Amino acid sequence: MKKDSGPDWNTLLVRVGSHQDKAAFGALFSHFAPLLKGFLLKGGGVEPEQAEELVQETMIKVWRKAPSYAPAQAAASTWMYTIARNTRIDWLRKHSKKNQQTDELVAEDLFDENEESSPFTALIQTRNAGNIKAHLAELPQEQLQVLTLMYFQGKSGQEVADELSIPLGTVKSRVRLALQKLKLKLSPTGEDQQVVYAQ
Amino acid sequence: MIKNHPPTQFLADYSAGALSLAPAISVTTHLQFCDQCREAVSGLNALGGELLSDCEGIEISSSLLAETLDRLDAPMESAATSPSAQGDTTALIDSDLANELPDYLHKFVGRSTLNWRSLSSSVSVAPITVGESDYELALHRIEAGGKTPVHDHQGTEVTVVLKGTFSDEQGMYHEGDFLIREAGDVHQPIAAQNESCVCLSVLSAPIKLTGIKQVLNPFMRFNPS
Repeated sequence: MKKDSGPDWNTLLVRVGSHQDKAAFGALFSHFAPLLKGFLLKGGGVEPEQAEELVQETMIKVWRKAPSYAPAQAAASTWMYTIARNTRIDWLRKHSKKNQQTDELVAEDLFDENEESSPFTALIQTRNAGNIKAHLAELPQEQLQVLTLMYFQGKSGQEVADELSIPLGTVKSRVRLALQKLKLKLSPTGEDQQVVYAQ
Repeated sequence: MIKNHPPTQFLADYSAGALSLAPAISVTTHLQFCDQCREAVSGLNALGGELLSDCEGIEISSSLLAETLDRLDAPMESAATSPSAQGDTTALIDSDLANELPDYLHKFVGRSTLNWRSLSSSVSVAPITVGESDYELALHRIEAGGKTPVHDHQGTEVTVVLKGTFSDEQGMYHEGDFLIREAGDVHQPIAAQNESCVCLSVLSAPIKLTGIKQVLNPFMRFNPS
């Protein structure tokens, strides 16, 4: 039995993709648009009106990309997160003085979310989602703070360290501890390479 | 079996959208070879999804849904997918090389003609333009049995092995291996005797202040000569 009642977002998203179902899209919009706005505003660097523009842009991409959505690969919220993240990256690049737009690469080109899924993908995905839901509330404040800065603001570990005036090593260990608590997989690489990255 | 992977923080930066273009491309390239890191990234993305779901929603304008619905049937805007990602780009990559690169890289490598230049008798480099000034993205090719000149790095260099193997003082690296070499590391990569080795590398531009946040880039300059 699923614990959370309420609409099954994955199924609605599939319907949007397979049937261009505007009612399903409307339901997703009503649920996710305010969350996306909260997400973008919490990130800072975006004004409220711009946030709505970005929400709209994200949701239009959701509509257009929905046919490629595979529920076995990612929960609707995960998939929406990656689209919102990419939309934010493009927006920030467009508004940064440093990268005068001479090229037409978009964030979507960098990532590769549309991989074929293996039978394991679905299992891993379900297990991850369950673990995250079960343990996110248990994370110590200091770990949650680091994750929040990273995900909501698109900050790197180094940028989070600078903002909190703590060593990069501390940020990294908080991230690692949080991921362990959430039973998420860490990089298979040993600690030595982590030191290298620390410079 | 791939032994060298991006560190956890690197994958987390990637998932959070904090990496610049070239480093992000290097991670996605590694993921083409590595199921373990793909699994790690899928967990990190799921964490992003859960943080989004848990986030405190903020009320949106009542007209936004109607406006959005109106725009759904409009023709695609250019931002949705870059032309290079969908067009026939392989024409710009010679076919031998195309076979050596994961499909994912074709859209970047095929954006303009590659200009290979020799760094030594057995090593050549071809920059890949992605329209970013902070990092240089390039392909390196070491001919079979070839040695690169001994060099040190003024900045950090990321290398992903795409084809073949090479070794240096610290070990031997195979397809998919993801290496980070720190400023000051001195090394001399040597390709295996029987085949040439092709790598993707990310070399960083000089330390600079980025935007108003004055953040130092984790990557620094690499000087190929």
